[in-house]
Amino acid sequence: MSHGTAPHLDEARPLAGSSVRRHDGDAYVTGRIGYTDDLSLPGTAHVVLVRSDVPHARITVDVRDALTRPGVLTVATGRSLAGEFGPIPNAMDPVPTGGQPLEIHVLPIDKVVYVGQPVAAVVAESLAQALSAAADVQVHYEPLPHVLDPEAALAADAPLLYESWGSNVMLSGTVGSGDAEAAAARSAGVIHGTLRTGRGAPVPMEPRAYCADWDARTRRLTWYGTTQAPHPLRHAIAEFLGLRERDVRVVAPPVGGSFGFKNFGHPEEYLVCVLALGLARPVQWIEDRASTLRYGARDSRIDYTASYDDDGRVTSVACDMVANHGAASATGAFGMAFAGSLAMPSGYQVPDFRCDYRVVVTNKGPWSPLRPFGKEAGVLLMETVMDAVARRTGLDPLEVRRRNWVKVDQFPYVTTTGLELDSGDYEGLLDKALTVMDYAAFREEQTRAREQGRYLGLGIGFEVLPEGADIPGALIGASDISTVRMSPSGDVTVLTGVTSPGNGNDTAIMQIVADRLGVAMDSVSIVQGDTDVCPFGFGNVSSRGILTGGGSAALAADDVAAKLRQVGASMLHVDDAERLVLRDGFVSVDGDPEQALPIAVVAHALYTVGYIVAPDVEPTLESTRTFRMRNIRHHADDEGKIMPFSTFSNGIYLSVVEVDIDTGVVDILRHVMVHDCGVMINPRFVTGQFTGGVVNGIGAALTEEVLHDREGRQLSAGFKTFLLPRASDVPAFEIQHQVTPSPFTPLGTKGAGEGGVACTMASLLNAVNDALSPLGASINELPAVPHRVLAAIGGGER
Amino acid sequence: MITHPFVYRAPTSVAEAIEILAETPGISRVIGGGTWVVPECNRDESRPGVLVDLRRAGLGGIDVVGDVVCVGATATYSALMSSPDVARHLPLLAAMASGITGGRQIQSQGTVGGSVVAARPSSDAPAAVAALDATLVIAGPDGERRVTGTGMFPDASTSCLREGEILTRLEFAVRPAARWGYYKLKRSASSWPIATAACVLGEQPHLVLGGVSATPVHVDLGPVLARRPLTPDTIEETVRRAADSVSTPWEDELAPATYRAAVAGPVARRALEMAAHQEES
Repeated sequence: MSHGTAPHLDEARPLAGSSVRRHDGDAYVTGRIGYTDDLSLPGTAHVVLVRSDVPHARITVDVRDALTRPGVLTVATGRSLAGEFGPIPNAMDPVPTGGQPLEIHVLPIDKVVYVGQPVAAVVAESLAQALSAAADVQVHYEPLPHVLDPEAALAADAPLLYESWGSNVMLSGTVGSGDAEAAAARSAGVIHGTLRTGRGAPVPMEPRAYCADWDARTRRLTWYGTTQAPHPLRHAIAEFLGLRERDVRVVAPPVGGSFGFKNFGHPEEYLVCVLALGLARPVQWIEDRASTLRYGARDSRIDYTASYDDDGRVTSVACDMVANHGAASATGAFGMAFAGSLAMPSGYQVPDFRCDYRVVVTNKGPWSPLRPFGKEAGVLLMETVMDAVARRTGLDPLEVRRRNWVKVDQFPYVTTTGLELDSGDYEGLLDKALTVMDYAAFREEQTRAREQGRYLGLGIGFEVLPEGADIPGALIGASDISTVRMSPSGDVTVLTGVTSPGNGNDTAIMQIVADRLGVAMDSVSIVQGDTDVCPFGFGNVSSRGILTGGGSAALAADDVAAKLRQVGASMLHVDDAERLVLRDGFVSVDGDPEQALPIAVVAHALYTVGYIVAPDVEPTLESTRTFRMRNIRHHADDEGKIMPFSTFSNGIYLSVVEVDIDTGVVDILRHVMVHDCGVMINPRFVTGQFTGGVVNGIGAALTEEVLHDREGRQLSAGFKTFLLPRASDVPAFEIQHQVTPSPFTPLGTKGAGEGGVACTMASLLNAVNDALSPLGASINELPAVPHRVLAAIGGGER
Repeated sequence: MITHPFVYRAPTSVAEAIEILAETPGISRVIGGGTWVVPECNRDESRPGVLVDLRRAGLGGIDVVGDVVCVGATATYSALMSSPDVARHLPLLAAMASGITGGRQIQSQGTVGGSVVAARPSSDAPAAVAALDATLVIAGPDGERRVTGTGMFPDASTSCLREGEILTRLEFAVRPAARWGYYKLKRSASSWPIATAACVLGEQPHLVLGGVSATPVHVDLGPVLARRPLTPDTIEETVRRAADSVSTPWEDELAPATYRAAVAGPVARRALEMAAHQEES
């Protein structure tokens, strides 16, 4: 473990690269951080949503009784709003990629498409009054036939969720190149298989919370809430309400986790605006856990054919992916299928590759963006294929991966889906993992254990995660703007468009800036998440907090540092400003303490006596910068491919499990993780982020699954029925870092936000199957809950 | 948030509790620790007009009276875990309590009496209480009555209490040197039990399976285990009987019926093996 002991990247930059603690960690752990629900603006009215009891029906809503209840201010329905407001803006639109148009309204106008869908919003003086009155909203349902699984939804006579589409397919497409079928025909062997992933759900500690405040005097709307993307949301709210963007201010208070769920495109984001405008007072809606768990992810099926040669090289992969999106949404969640299929070849050289994907709507709650944004599909696919090739050829699974990986000298490497992998050292990852895990010794232990009736398994997971996305036509870009300014007293403020989901990227950006200005951490503060104050940014999506926010802050800090050097050179009577060093709060000539001035003195001098000490220097200590990522390409190539990602962080995990073959319970004994996100600004935060990702992956692999009954009612609505891993379910993680800097990003960073989830799912799936192999049994569906494992062994049918 | 108005009553005696229930037929609910009823009210799944909290009714004690251990209806799991009398005479009950999902907060709030009355299939307590051959002492408008054996658990989530009654205590006969075993199978740390097996061996051996059926399943041991040491053969025979005893396995969102039927045998085996190890040591 490397907590706090990572080597400094640079003598001159002692902070970036070290595991300093969060600048505001004490406020979080002592409960002094103010979340959205802590705002309590005077006069706030409270919203409670009335939700559908049925999966698919035409509705009429009668609110007359509810309106008479104590404290009730108004009750909104889809019909009451439809005259004035159109559909909400889409975070991403499927139409440009050949998909169906999405028209998501704040509240549904005439029909519901899933159980739990909001049908009316009761607003009252108090939450209790709103809750109480919600029971008196009468909803008349005229039931329609419903579909829950995509196979049924694809049938010719299936009931349609959105009649104008003519089918239940929101989007379909093909990625890849070459001729997989021809390659398979030429190959030594062919593998057919199916992989299924159950429905997951976003689980931030803090559910969503929105509060809108319309100031009738200034005619401005201020929106507070859980959003990863304040500026894009401001744009969307302004468009939706017909306001000028400058008349909308979006403020994002600290959040308790985001995971993609809190990007934007949720109807309630706009609902509070509409209600605040109507009532001319603050209106807030706080989500409950059952609502959060109604959003889904994964829930996919992949049928694949892979071919290989006798030397263990994979020659082709062709697959058909059907994703169960649930109801449509405006959050851009469908992009998970697209991003997932683009990422599918992972870090392997697959000469001929094709994925046909379909995003199918059904009468379940909608998909939500959820890390790692669909990329687990390809990781599971390729890691399953690699193990299958090992079994068929008799080669060791590690060796099969070595033979198929993109090699160090092949970067930048263009995959068969058109992604240009920036850099990497995949064999280095494995070598590092094997220094921690004695592979041969484990295989011996495994053999001994099997003789005693114990079933141990070792599984390998390898992931390559495209990050720093820049999606043409959408407000999701691979850049952000940062401002760095120094006050006359030498205080530094960083303003940046990226937000923090609670992972400490704000502290890491402060480290970067403090180093470049040669000041202490406590001289630096940072402002995020306020569109009135911060420069434009796309927020914290696609692992970009440090990549873009940190990168642009570094450039801006360098500008201010250059200015300090100029002024310092003038004050110290040195001709060459390049000789000036900024360190430990002083500007000095070559680090000489005899020829030095406090940075605060230099700053103050520029502001107050600039005409005397530095008459030729423009009198500002402020810079606003951004940069364009050089490897993004939006012009399609001959095959229609674009390159929408900046970096490709990667990792390899080795999991050791024991499967209790009498009960199917899987116990994780070891979890060795080696990951590479390029340069690490703060290894502690990287480790923290990966730890969360791994626990997320363990949940997805072993315990977490949202189930519905036949009537579309959600059976998993809380933490006793949707099982998250608890502390005692996870092993002590053995974490190693490898650093392969990105040649394309300003600081060599690659983005660490999504790591660990997919890799863990794959390593655990493979470990379980390794353990089951002496029984001739295997599973191809996650989560590997005990009854699924036992059924694979044949135990469930005894 | 509990949005419906209700009256909270905290009687300080059994008599007062019975009186309150008599005054409020059909609209009152009784809580021990409230770990089940209060969340139900929070979710608006239950709207009692009167909530009768027994925690001040003097029913939290654990005492040994002669050769009977009396566990008050509102004794918490923590109280079971820290009681020397329970440790000495009812170690199975202490083991059950220490494995209650939810950690210290639930252990210090939840009560074994409440769990028995709630009679939920996926609870820890029912099978253990049944294996220990408990007697439930119930107070009502017509005085006191006692319930034992399968009468304690009429059906899934169905209490043996009648309208107007409360459970006052559980009585357990002291059984010197009884060997015991307990095994709980669950999916992960936060999961409710999927299957439990509790066995008490000695003069009148009991093996009871929990979680696998609507109510605890008393495995018919026949003459197999009576006064005989556990051997691989007797364990094997008992496991077979356990597996065969689950005629209508329980099913919920955490595990299908086929799974519960399949693990009944293995879970029984583990409880028996635990008892066998005690025999050896």
